[in-house]
Amino acid sequence: MSSQLTGRPADLSVAHWRAVAAATGPADRATAEQAVRDAYRAAGLAEPAEFRWCPSPRAAVDELLAHRDEFGASVREQVRTAAWERARTAALAALGPAGWSALWAVTGAELATTTALPAERVRAALLDHFAPEPEPIDDWQEARKPENRAVRQAAAERRGRIRLLLLDAVAGQHDAAWLAAFDTAGTGDAALAALAGAARQTGWWWPYERTVLLSERPTALHRDEAGRLDRADGPALAYADGFALHAWRGMPVPADFLDRLTGLTPERIRGEENAELRRVMLEHFGYDRYLAESGAEPLHRDATGTLWRIQLPNDEPVVMVEVLNSTPEPDGTHRTYYLRVPPGTRTARAGVAWTFGVEEAEYHPQQET
Amino acid sequence: MYRQGDVLIVPVAQSAVPAALEQAARQPRDARGRLVLALGEVTGHAHAVVGPGELVREGGPFGAAWLHLPEGGRVVHEEHAAIALPGGWYRVVRQREYTPGAVRVVAD
Repeated sequence: MSSQLTGRPADLSVAHWRAVAAATGPADRATAEQAVRDAYRAAGLAEPAEFRWCPSPRAAVDELLAHRDEFGASVREQVRTAAWERARTAALAALGPAGWSALWAVTGAELATTTALPAERVRAALLDHFAPEPEPIDDWQEARKPENRAVRQAAAERRGRIRLLLLDAVAGQHDAAWLAAFDTAGTGDAALAALAGAARQTGWWWPYERTVLLSERPTALHRDEAGRLDRADGPALAYADGFALHAWRGMPVPADFLDRLTGLTPERIRGEENAELRRVMLEHFGYDRYLAESGAEPLHRDATGTLWRIQLPNDEPVVMVEVLNSTPEPDGTHRTYYLRVPPGTRTARAGVAWTFGVEEAEYHPQQET
Repeated sequence: MYRQGDVLIVPVAQSAVPAALEQAARQPRDARGRLVLALGEVTGHAHAVVGPGELVREGGPFGAAWLHLPEGGRVVHEEHAAIALPGGWYRVVRQREYTPGAVRVVAD
């Protein structure tokens, strides 16, 4: 078997599983299905009779809503959870609680941004797609009417049902953080190696007695340098059937929001009532352009940079330090960037010092590049 | 103190280094044998130390870290000039940005 969880060094595990977590494109279905068969056998179960591939987790939930009864009982506990429990128990026995926690810090924790957060976003998007929350009703007398209560009750029940279906899923490539930890601990048995083999090929998958539902990985994944979902001109995470998530530096934004960013004006930015969306609009428009077009005056200037303030209606002001990158770009210019700092900041040096968590008086780098 | 892009490297006296650090796990070196202070997920560009030393991280990839360079070392990055560090202990801080109600890290 190609799957190996043999106790390789943390940096090699993390690099390998980082790549798995960020992989896009079609699975090698034969390899994935064989890995799942191995996982069933290692759990002492009969091999599944049928594999059904779906282009996205959304398509998989559609399939589940239509045909769940035909698939047999969920075997997630036996196939996935029991193997994890064995691996974790063995790791704890070998390393002790402190050793396990230290191992986690240099393996799984390194991958949380690229695995746990997108998985959480996918889960939330599926809930909103299949069981949207009803519009809030401000008037409490209206909200208490039996027909309105019935609508909320029905929505809550549907949300509960979708949640249960999502609990049956194995996260596939999004399990990379845990698999990296077990990979370094070297405590995985054949069952865990089979799960690792499946994770290398697929997105989420649903193990049932008779049928296994598998979702293909995304066709596109865009992240920023910190590993957060991030794209300004399209979905940050997209699947072949059109299921997609939009995000700006990790912050979820509505699908049509990015389209509306093209014709931005300072007036439209000021008019946006959602403070988080307004922040994205400001960043997208460019602080420098906004400052120029709104005729802002700098609050303070010193050797570290310039401090600016933008007043916003019904919100705390945006206070930013404008900083020059010390290393010149290839063309000899210095790139300018803006960092938002707490609204009470009074000097540029205090602002830059805050971004590094040190006091203004302390912040005196002897060398900057 | 030294700044390379979004990373600040602050010298600290050995007496100021927490005793608990003795027991803490050392950050493993990367495949090129470097101590990675901060890694860009997409470009793979890294603020990294070449030379002998140890790195101990606090609380995840964006937590602060302690760097011990008994013989000094160099911090390198694909887009920034290298910085030579004298021997000793350092606190390594990743730059952050204010957002109302939260704080997020900066990635350059």
